[in-house]
Amino acid sequence: MSLDNMLKKLSVRSPWLFRINAGSCNGCDVELATTACIPRYDVERLGCRYCGSPRHADIVLVTGPLTTRVRDRVLRVWNEIPEPKVTVAVGICPISGGVFREGYSIEGPLDRYIPVDVNVPGCPPRPQAILEAVVLARSIWLKKLGVEE
Amino acid sequence: MAGFLKVLFRNLLEGPSTDPFPLGETFTPDRLRGKAVVDPDLCMGCGICRHSCAAGAINITPLPDRKGFTITIWQNSCCLCASCRHYCPTGAMSITTNWHTAHPESEKFNRIEQHTIHYEPCAGCGELMRPLPKKLAEKLYAYNDEIDRELTRRLCPKCRQLEDAKRNACVLPAASGEAEAKGVTSAAPTKD
Repeated sequence: MSLDNMLKKLSVRSPWLFRINAGSCNGCDVELATTACIPRYDVERLGCRYCGSPRHADIVLVTGPLTTRVRDRVLRVWNEIPEPKVTVAVGICPISGGVFREGYSIEGPLDRYIPVDVNVPGCPPRPQAILEAVVLARSIWLKKLGVEE
Repeated sequence: MAGFLKVLFRNLLEGPSTDPFPLGETFTPDRLRGKAVVDPDLCMGCGICRHSCAAGAINITPLPDRKGFTITIWQNSCCLCASCRHYCPTGAMSITTNWHTAHPESEKFNRIEQHTIHYEPCAGCGELMRPLPKKLAEKLYAYNDEIDRELTRRLCPKCRQLEDAKRNACVLPAASGEAEAKGVTSAAPTKD
């Protein structure tokens, strides 16, 4: 195995997470915090951790139905995340609009503006479901990197 | 110091409190609200679930030939409030504990629960109608053994009224006043 390949394999152990709140009610954000911060669900076992800057992120978790007010800001932050990135829609709001669907201030669903890779519906989804989504997102990320088949 | 030792010993004895989930099994509470499902045997198509659904995830469409209806739940819009289960008069709606919801984008529009229910002809006049679920018929006529539940549940409302009238007509007080009515077989009020 060449050094290049070895570095490539070693450096992809830890996809960092970034969280975008696109007008969420905070329910899904609380579940995301639960998934990461309390030892019971501990997403850091998978090498994931939340980072403060979109430039460091690999997997982006979006909550909320994409309101008119945050749309441009979400797009701006999302475009700052380097490729390859995996977008995960957390909760029913970014997936379909959920209970806010067809509201006057709702621009969503999210995949009108951003290519979404993984959906995890729920209102909110339970931490285990989010973990499942992160695992799925990680495998998609590895495929995008060309490390896995 | 003693408190710290207590925690240390507990951790040594019971192991870590981390749920092993993505690598092992996890727990599922009995009352967890997961995927919503509808039982096609019980559903009458009354539409109270569609009316009470906060997220608008339920749709009921009549078939083009009006010989039945299609009930659809879009799981990706369901907010798991369980209003449908609460308000369903026949208990056809239920919320399972299946919480495995994560899926790739390509499956987004496949995650639906859909049943097409066809009407059946009324046992009396042959008009198309939805028969009462057996459970509900047994509950409705629990205190009236004279009613044939199997037949009554397959009658349309008009034929059911006729049946009820036939049953009650023979016990009404006779016009001559000689033969007194012995009892009433129906809950319907009679002149007495």
